[in-house]
Amino acid sequence: MGQGDAPERKRRALATAFDPVFYRTVYDDIARVGADPFRHYVETGWREGRDPAPWFSVLAYLERHPEAGGDDPFAHYLLRGWSEGCEPSPSRHRERFLERIGGPRRPASAEPVPPALEPVLPSPEPVLPDPEPEIPEPLASLPSLPSVPVASDPDLPAGLTREAARALIAADFDPAFYLSAYPDIAAAGQDPLEHYLLAGRWEGRDPRPGFKAADYLEVNPDVAASGVDPFLHWLVAGRSEGRPLRFELGFRGRIVAGLAPLEARMAAAARAAADISADRPRGLAPLSAASQAAGLHVTFSHDDFTKRIGGVQLCLQAESKGLVRRGIDHLHVFPAVPWPTLRPAGSRAALGLVWNGRTLGHFAVGDILKALRKRRAGARTTLAVHSLLGHEIGEVLDILAAAGARRGLFWLHDFAGLCAGYHLMRDEARDCGAPPAGSAACRVCVFGPGRDLHLSAHRRLFEALDLTLVAPSQAALDTWSAASDAPVAAAVQVHPHARLVPSGRFAEAVEGPLTVAFLGMPSAYKGWPVFTDLAERFRDDPRYRFVRLGSAAAPGAPADHIEVSVTADNPHAMREALDSARVDVAILWSLCRETFSFAAYEAAAAGAAILTGPDSGNIAAFTRTGGHGLVLADEASLFAQFESGTVQSLSRKVRRPEICEIEYSGMSVDLLEALS
Amino acid sequence: MKVLVYSSFTFSYLNRARVLFQSLRRFHPDWETVALITDEPPPGFVFDPASEPFDRVVWAKDLGIEAFRGWLFRHDVVEVCTAVKGPFLHQVCEAGVADIAIYLDPDTALFAPLDPLVEMLQHNDILLTPHLIDPNDDRAAILDNDLSASRTGIFNLGFVAIRTTGEGARFARWWNDRLLAFCYDDIPSGLFVDQKWCDHVPALFDRVKVVRDPGYNVASWNLSKRKVAITRDGEILVNGATLRFWHFTKLGPTGDVMTKRYAGDNFEVYEVWRWYKEAVGAATDPAIPERWWAHGQFDDGTPIAKPQRVLYRERTDLQAAFPDPFAGGYQAWWKAEGPGRNG
Repeated sequence: MGQGDAPERKRRALATAFDPVFYRTVYDDIARVGADPFRHYVETGWREGRDPAPWFSVLAYLERHPEAGGDDPFAHYLLRGWSEGCEPSPSRHRERFLERIGGPRRPASAEPVPPALEPVLPSPEPVLPDPEPEIPEPLASLPSLPSVPVASDPDLPAGLTREAARALIAADFDPAFYLSAYPDIAAAGQDPLEHYLLAGRWEGRDPRPGFKAADYLEVNPDVAASGVDPFLHWLVAGRSEGRPLRFELGFRGRIVAGLAPLEARMAAAARAAADISADRPRGLAPLSAASQAAGLHVTFSHDDFTKRIGGVQLCLQAESKGLVRRGIDHLHVFPAVPWPTLRPAGSRAALGLVWNGRTLGHFAVGDILKALRKRRAGARTTLAVHSLLGHEIGEVLDILAAAGARRGLFWLHDFAGLCAGYHLMRDEARDCGAPPAGSAACRVCVFGPGRDLHLSAHRRLFEALDLTLVAPSQAALDTWSAASDAPVAAAVQVHPHARLVPSGRFAEAVEGPLTVAFLGMPSAYKGWPVFTDLAERFRDDPRYRFVRLGSAAAPGAPADHIEVSVTADNPHAMREALDSARVDVAILWSLCRETFSFAAYEAAAAGAAILTGPDSGNIAAFTRTGGHGLVLADEASLFAQFESGTVQSLSRKVRRPEICEIEYSGMSVDLLEALS
Repeated sequence: MKVLVYSSFTFSYLNRARVLFQSLRRFHPDWETVALITDEPPPGFVFDPASEPFDRVVWAKDLGIEAFRGWLFRHDVVEVCTAVKGPFLHQVCEAGVADIAIYLDPDTALFAPLDPLVEMLQHNDILLTPHLIDPNDDRAAILDNDLSASRTGIFNLGFVAIRTTGEGARFARWWNDRLLAFCYDDIPSGLFVDQKWCDHVPALFDRVKVVRDPGYNVASWNLSKRKVAITRDGEILVNGATLRFWHFTKLGPTGDVMTKRYAGDNFEVYEVWRWYKEAVGAATDPAIPERWWAHGQFDDGTPIAKPQRVLYRERTDLQAAFPDPFAGGYQAWWKAEGPGRNG
């Protein structure tokens, strides 16, 4: 030990971590002579190679860390070793000890343990005699002493009875949170506190908001090594010692920690694609049939727009309807299973087809090509690429060639043309700005290995076809122009998906707390972690009320859920819900560059002010240019707005905003005439 | 200016070394790279140096170290992998095969070119990177980092760069001599492998530069005073300086805890680590057992305990009696007459 290790600090560390029950249980000579276990260990025990706790082997530690020689290895570990990365090994008596105190202290499976199998806390047990005394020469000449009752459970901090422990836990346990976070407990009708005491705490379940057992154990490795219940440790000691509850990594750190390698994601998609068998080619008959249509329009995107809802899908639905109205056939091509990236060359996968709004099925690309080649030539054929995710560029060009399509539109719904990380979110945590492909940032990014695939495929697309690049916003076009090396022809156009039409009606003044809303899917790149941090921070502040408007509830969210489903039949559902909930402020804190953002238009149309950050692309541009709210410098500025209350200036009462209608564009249909 | 870079490791660190040498090739394809290996390939693993991302292999047994088997036995894996760094560096200087020699630990990786080091070596002969270039203020950080550096060495010897002439060559000879005799993990005796010796370097040699640029040798022990940022131009910066190389010490849960403790919400640090873990995973050959080291066991396969090495190290009579202690003689003596007789 270093000379700076004060004896008192050492004694306290040892006393805290030493396990007297273990010591007495496995070294019965100590119990028999009535020696104080802690004193025995400190004075002679460790020199005799005795272990101070079930998780620590003195001899193994000495062997691995001879630098501890001369001092108590346990003290060395507690005061220095653990922080230097020294790893302890469990005592060789551990299993015997666990058997004696009533079996394993943790259920082997994550399944809840029925009450009959384990009491709330094991009853005190007498110390059993050791059949194999540790000391080579047992003190047999001494008279046998009665067993010493265990003062407390081995899982309990010294001096704490199980009744006291239970009362402590009960006082800080949050049953409503527990039932909300673990629906299986609620479904089973179990008492949440009883379940937590019996099984939940050993299964890693959390007893209340803000306390995560796994985080507490990670930041306090001595607690983890001791095997005590982490929540109980915090209540008894950790809280008063000022121990941290977790490493404060921030939500971005947590996102990075949870990233799966791109290669693994692509492999998973390839496996899923291999499970889809292609339908018989006769299902392709509509493609070849003689048609009276005025032309054919071929589109590509990442999914079946008739089955799912979202920004791109809404565009395609509008496009499809517009084409039908003009008597133009519409063939839509999509990957049979979702892919995180473009599909690399050499991979095989069935392609899904939608024909004039009707899903035909999944087909082999060879069959699709044959069907298209049979089609009567001559009709005008155009194309629109909405997304190439899941598509292999060679197949795309073959299909377009077979359909006779060369001229068309390339929609900039996202930035898949610049990177496999099509939100331009480096490691899904921060806007990257599409730096040079060989940069250090791209090398560390999880999407780095896929960037060349996306850049080269889109370059090939623009080289092979006569495409007009259509951006739904100037902000999106600016990002593309700064980073793309694709040979885009002169035709570049900004064509917003919608515009606001003033109604002449103004929002009513509303009394009460400022209603602050999150809109849509609670995903990280839409800023959900920022919103939840904000709502957690101010959840008890009477000045504010936090709501989330979306289709599905987010369990455990610190905001009231208002169910809203935007569909093709009810495209105004979000705007109407915002209006009827009298939402004052919409937090549209997208972490990525939005190319358009229907949510921003819906919020503004409903009279809600927008609060957004600097990386949100067209949300920031729309908010700034239209005076629809505030673009703040960073998350600290957002919190400061709420802390000071200056955000109240954005209330409906103060602003009295004009309610607007949203007029949607005809999407591609507006632009097709220009192509002919 | 011919530059040679080498790294010293065993096969269990081949995955990390591959990542290092790949990063070196990316930025310096013209530099000669050498793998200094103190090990033998594990059974079932086919080692093909031609397909590795380094130019050549030097085996420790070929360094000409006197009574090599006995010398090797006196060291554990960390001690010996650090001890051979000196002899190799000295021999590079003697052979005149390079103008500049750089050592990098196998668990480092480059993120930008090391050209500024070459420039520094126009005016200096020896470059060292300290563990810390800014003092800690927080007590826990002082205990973890400052005092650790005080015990194990002011400079981190995961990196050293020298001119192979002048003071650089004189340093290499001195380091060679010391490491052949005193490269042990014995902090109470003032030794910590090859590293603690280098506390003497600024006193013993001229033309020494202490590289205080925060972009070099970033590691968990100095993250408490280094902030990592990634710009929209794609650069990784450390306290505003370009990140040149990172030292990914303690890959695993222990390293993770130390990194989290000091990186906090500086999530860019986790991005760098995420990449490294993925790269090492991709470079890992499952045919190499974890913790493999051919010299961690006697010839009959019995693991060698540290006390067996320490006693042999201390007793010249045992060294004389058992010049190849890996063979059965020393082991038999240990059991019959040595400390092993008590079981």
